[in-house]
Amino acid sequence: MSDDQRDDDYIDEVEAETGADPVPAADQRSADAIAQETAGRSPMTSEPHHEIPANILDQTREGEHPYQWHEGVNREHGSTDAVEFIDVKKSFGRNTVLNGLNFGIPEGQISMIIGPSGTGKSVCIKHMVGLLYPDEGDVLVHGESVPNMPDDDLFEMRKKFGVLFQDGALFGSMNVFDNVAFPLRQHTDKGEEEIAEICNRRLREVGLAGALDKMPNELSGGMRKRAGFARALVLDPQIVLFDEPDSGLDPVRTALLCELIQEVHAENGGAYVVITHDIMSARRVADYLAVLWKGRIVESGPASELFNSPNQFVRQFLSGEARGPLGME
Amino acid sequence: MPASWLDVGRDLLSSLGDIAKFSWRVMAEVFEGRALRFFGETLRQAGILILGSALVIWGMAFILGLTCGIEAAYFNRALGAPAYAGFFAAWCELREVLPYAFGYMMSAKVGTGLVAEIGAMRISDEIDALEVMGISSLTFLCSTRLLAAWLVLPFMYIAAVGAGFFASYLAVVQQIGEVSSGGYSLIFWMFQNPPDLLYSTIKGMAMATVIVLVGCYYGYTASGGPVGVGTATAKSMVLNTVLVHVVGMLGTQVFWGTNPRAPIGG
Repeated sequence: MSDDQRDDDYIDEVEAETGADPVPAADQRSADAIAQETAGRSPMTSEPHHEIPANILDQTREGEHPYQWHEGVNREHGSTDAVEFIDVKKSFGRNTVLNGLNFGIPEGQISMIIGPSGTGKSVCIKHMVGLLYPDEGDVLVHGESVPNMPDDDLFEMRKKFGVLFQDGALFGSMNVFDNVAFPLRQHTDKGEEEIAEICNRRLREVGLAGALDKMPNELSGGMRKRAGFARALVLDPQIVLFDEPDSGLDPVRTALLCELIQEVHAENGGAYVVITHDIMSARRVADYLAVLWKGRIVESGPASELFNSPNQFVRQFLSGEARGPLGME
Repeated sequence: MPASWLDVGRDLLSSLGDIAKFSWRVMAEVFEGRALRFFGETLRQAGILILGSALVIWGMAFILGLTCGIEAAYFNRALGAPAYAGFFAAWCELREVLPYAFGYMMSAKVGTGLVAEIGAMRISDEIDALEVMGISSLTFLCSTRLLAAWLVLPFMYIAAVGAGFFASYLAVVQQIGEVSSGGYSLIFWMFQNPPDLLYSTIKGMAMATVIVLVGCYYGYTASGGPVGVGTATAKSMVLNTVLVHVVGMLGTQVFWGTNPRAPIGG
């Protein structure tokens, strides 16, 4: 059976199950896009009788197909992909988190992965840096397969990344300065004077010049995030990942942090990936948006295009409306 | 047999297999010299062991030495051979009491400390942060701690043996005073020799190695937030207590099981 036939069968099956088109009638163009999109895809995602995991069905309203809003459209972003997800599936026990994830993170742009809570955004980040491996599919960083890397290559590849974790993940046994200096001490031959100069500059950028000697438990949540940001940038990484940088911050500090991300990106370049479900942050910062739900991309593309997307789920999520495809399921 | 008992047995075997695999990886990192890349961290951990545990271990060894000495003096007096108090003190301390006490103290203080520290790092993403910086967290956190233990603990253990011996001498010769200093020393040293000290140290170090590895394993694999770390700490304590006795029994069997190495019966 060809992939095209499988796609047709898949669409028929969705129609039979839901009594509706698998994609919104208002956006029938997308059906062609899906057909084109999936034509060269492995059978993993396009298989017609592919079983939908129970936990994903649980999140779905009765009578609807779980992926009826997932157009899978990856709009052109005018750049090469720094990171690519190819048909990635990941389950934890019976809980399927990623279920055929396909998208790319463009080089030289600030990308945002947004989506409802518990939809696999942080799992996505962990796949990029090889902290988790996909059960099926592949993750490529600058064209190299992360799951197939030997350990030494993986550690080397990770030096391309800077990661800001949700709570900063500062080392509790070190003060702020030593936390920021740690990657430099481990990975470079720089002298202490040069390290101090770099760390002081980075800490000044994030407004922590006066907190060098403080221990992480003496810092507020926002300060910990900023210190983590300084540490993530200290090796001038090519790809910077932010895992919900706005969580637990007040709106003003969130806006300031977004500004800081933009400034630092303008200065250093590279691919920045921000994970959030804060739409204001997305509007402020994102060049590129990927909307993730139920372990798959609903739609991805330049932010300006996505904010005008006809997709009902994307529209609902980006406008924060209560009524629409996303409910409390 | 109920299925749940089978599950318990299977889970136990599975955990032991995981611990063995984990331990092998940690030790391999030390033997391959990778832990030396973080020698600064190794020295820091060695310093923490010395400053945090040495006095506790020596203090406890001293108290146990006093106990052994007092028991030795009164027990041998009851047998009509008070001069042989040194025999009891020598065997009691070197072969059994000190290794076990060392094991208990290590599992209570060092083992649980490792689980709590590494487990807290796990749940606060610090371990992931290390990994994404391109640093092997297993080497940085576990192998350095094992190497530090191997560097420091033999000396701490031998010093603890010394503290115990000195305490027994004080109890038998100075406190109870039924044996002269020379008489006590003659018997005390007759019933042990340098290989016994070596075997005792090996026994203590085997316990320490097991305790550090189990502590690192439970900390490194902790999950489920602070409650998970607490549970992991309790589990490590239980397993370490069991393993201390297993290692103690095997050590006694291997080193003294077929040859008591004692000048008895000619």
